[in-house]
Amino acid sequence: MTAPVEISLVVNGETREIRVPPRKLLSDVLREDLHLTGTHVGCEHGICGACTVLIDGEPARSCLTFAVQMEGHEVTTIESVATGDAFGPLQQALHEEHGLQCGFCTAGIVMTFEAYLRENPDPDEAEVREVLSGNICRCTGYQSIVAAILKAARVIREGPSA
Amino acid sequence: MTAKNDFRYIGQPLPRREDRRFLIGKGRYLDDIAMPGALHACFVRSPHGHARILSVDCAAARAMPGVAGVFVGEDLACWTTSLRLAPPIEGLHPVEMTTLPIDKVRFHGDPVAVVLAEDRYVAEDAAERVEVEYEPIDSVVDTDSALRPDAPKVDEALSGNLVSHQFFSAGDIAARSAEAERIVEARFDLHRHTHSPMETRGCLADWDAGREHLTMHIGTQAPHPLRGQLAGRLRMRETQVTVISPDIGGAFGQKIALYREELAVAALSRHLARPVRWREDRMENLTSASHARETHCVTRASVRADGRILGLELELTEDFGAYCFYPANYMARVIAMILTGPYRINDYAFDVKVVLTNKCGNGPMRAPMAITSWVMDGTIDAVASDLGLEPLEVRRVNALRAEDLPFAMPTGEVLEDVTPLETLEAAAAAIDVPAFRQRQEEARQAGRLLGLGFCTVIESTTYGSQFYKAAGIPGSGHEAAWVRIEPSGVVNASVGLMGSGQGYETPLAQAVAEGLGVPTESVIVHMGHTDIAPYGMGSRGGRGATAGGGTLYLCAQKARDKALAIAAGMLNVNDAQGLRIHDGRIEQYLDAEWQHSGLTLSDVARRAYLDPTALPEGITPGLDVSLTYDPPPMTYSNATHACEVEIDPATGRLSIARYIVAEDCGTVLNPVVVKGQQQGAVAMGLSGALMEEVVYDSAGQNISATFADYLIASACEVPQIEILPMHTPNRRTPVGIKGMAEGGIMGSIGVIANAVNDALIPIGVRVEQLPLTPQRIRALLRAAECTDFRRTISETRMKTHDG
Repeated sequence: MTAPVEISLVVNGETREIRVPPRKLLSDVLREDLHLTGTHVGCEHGICGACTVLIDGEPARSCLTFAVQMEGHEVTTIESVATGDAFGPLQQALHEEHGLQCGFCTAGIVMTFEAYLRENPDPDEAEVREVLSGNICRCTGYQSIVAAILKAARVIREGPSA
Repeated sequence: MTAKNDFRYIGQPLPRREDRRFLIGKGRYLDDIAMPGALHACFVRSPHGHARILSVDCAAARAMPGVAGVFVGEDLACWTTSLRLAPPIEGLHPVEMTTLPIDKVRFHGDPVAVVLAEDRYVAEDAAERVEVEYEPIDSVVDTDSALRPDAPKVDEALSGNLVSHQFFSAGDIAARSAEAERIVEARFDLHRHTHSPMETRGCLADWDAGREHLTMHIGTQAPHPLRGQLAGRLRMRETQVTVISPDIGGAFGQKIALYREELAVAALSRHLARPVRWREDRMENLTSASHARETHCVTRASVRADGRILGLELELTEDFGAYCFYPANYMARVIAMILTGPYRINDYAFDVKVVLTNKCGNGPMRAPMAITSWVMDGTIDAVASDLGLEPLEVRRVNALRAEDLPFAMPTGEVLEDVTPLETLEAAAAAIDVPAFRQRQEEARQAGRLLGLGFCTVIESTTYGSQFYKAAGIPGSGHEAAWVRIEPSGVVNASVGLMGSGQGYETPLAQAVAEGLGVPTESVIVHMGHTDIAPYGMGSRGGRGATAGGGTLYLCAQKARDKALAIAAGMLNVNDAQGLRIHDGRIEQYLDAEWQHSGLTLSDVARRAYLDPTALPEGITPGLDVSLTYDPPPMTYSNATHACEVEIDPATGRLSIARYIVAEDCGTVLNPVVVKGQQQGAVAMGLSGALMEEVVYDSAGQNISATFADYLIASACEVPQIEILPMHTPNRRTPVGIKGMAEGGIMGSIGVIANAVNDALIPIGVRVEQLPLTPQRIRALLRAAECTDFRRTISETRMKTHDG
């Protein structure tokens, strides 16, 4: 039952063939087997949101997902968001608005809103706060994160000069 | 004192350097460090609040494939010393604890054994196979029962559970109460919190058997003091231990002490000559890392009819939990010392008790003195309410004014360069109190409950070594730095602090840049490595800017002076008078203006390192200076918080309509970082005041062991926070820094409770206990509905009949 299983999944656009024990969490496989340590583990019970990644483009808790469930699926992590040296719009806005302090929750927030802003390009503050409520940040008080997300949405809609 | 606008680099709103690595997923936190061959530790923890350990059977766990060993308290006692805390403080009992408990467990979550295995999954499996036989003892879970003569003793080496008791009196309280129009008594119960950094505790110990050297990777706020603790308790020399702190995912005071788990991991790495790593899970962090607060206060104010406080008494009792990682009076003492804060009170007495119970041990959590401002400003509001006065007027009548400064508090703490009345008036003006009172009255007529609160904060920020000496606590408040201008002219610098997410790297580089005269981007500040950084006292309280930034600034000036002396030789002038470094260029004051001399700091550095025979007489080669700095005994920042709330009488739901902070925290190194600290502190304070609560049941079971039970405020609960910066410099610190980052906790706890009480005035009830959950507010409203409200209604009816 606990013998490792071979799985094939796509991580950040690359097909990966790995052997993992069936009980190993996706968060641990990303961090330990694939050396993608940008995904953080904050609570391991699905509340804090730090471990959020995209599974087939949708935000999901990697701490509540077994890696073996990812056979044939596509996982996207924080490591894929910047293009070379250039921040994506969300990263740039978080930097400009001081939307992070210790940085531990940041990857989960970026991944949540990478997906959200694609489908909701013009959210208001209340909508952003509602979606952000799935990610705990112990440092910032959220105000600067909300400002950054609204700014990123504007930039994505209207271009960087907006 | 230099005026604010004279600074070139200090005060610039530069974005943070840490951001890039965090935003692209390349931060390096403890668990991101790869260490091939490391064993994973998992601790077996007590399921009881209080129990004797009769036996521990490790055989089944040891026999599991992948398990490298299982160890208990007696094993660790062979390789480590106990922690004995016995500072010479009157009324404080000495305490001692072994690395892991041997005879009994004292709280739910107390570590009993540790399993080492090839991976974390196997270690957790094996931990479940360790059979511990317990004999449960009654748990003491509140201070009242802990203080009964027949209460079970948490620490059997003590005569009872009262581990610390201090009292103090200044002036003549009895005379003041005799003169008083009234004695107003008020109660304040601040519940148990825990720090909950998003990154839990953890460490990676790597014993090098060949060099007989321990490298300890651990997110710690105080690397050098931790090194000293590790070396001492492992019976090693400080030269044999290197502490390296990677990026830290939040700490808030939880990552200062050397905890038992960390010491056990280090000892086992040496014992097995293998790297050993540990990362606690969230349940362990919530139940077993460190708790905070749970402080009960009663005040009695002797007041005149106009609300002037003639005398004030404080009774404080803190539930400290089961173990002392700090002297038991460490947090409570500061509350009692600075309670009178922004008010002109000379007659004051306190009685402070700290009590052991069967709970996780307390430690300093962001604002160890968190309750202070609620107790003081809540007392003001109780006075106003009892006398039927406007709370703002009672504040004004008691406030310290500019002409009162410097003001020695009755405890001897001296306030100067603070502006509490100014921040109060600014916050009051921003709210427009008369307009609010009118809205409030109209709302009351419509059956709605609106409230306005104020809370003025005097925040003790930087504790100098004289404070420690006066408090009898071993340790110092000084800080150390080095600044090295390298041969290419770039600047390396270091200081003994370690940030845990605040964003030290940019503001501290700005302090160096200012002292030296070079662009901020040419300076890198290295922190968190005990072989690189000078021995410093680490990050605690609000000392980062004053102690850290101040020391780096002074050290950079010392480096500047040497560079200019060399430049003087290169320019063939007699001395450095009339020379300065500006943006990395050497400038000369000629013809009433600063002119580029043609030299740069790089030219000077090359001369210093590579051509030392050409240096002026008496100048040694190199540009490498170090310096220590001891701040004043205490520095203070101040602020006033103001908050408008509405309570839904049907559900007890609290909504915050407006939140303002008027703050004076002295010269600001970087306003971006300071604003982040202000907002973050208020959010953490509100989260604690409204939602978070560590709960033990009557048997000592912790029933708040997940984030679904221990509730931390989300983006939907934290309001927009308006900041009014009103900074004035401290004249006794380098560049006028005061320090900050904890006052937001003090102010937010006080202001939200005061605002709720203001809203509840027509109901005739007063909040005395936090958190202000809807359930608690509803319970108050229900109690009032059952008694006063019905009476009011019946009285109204009778009057109607009479009429």
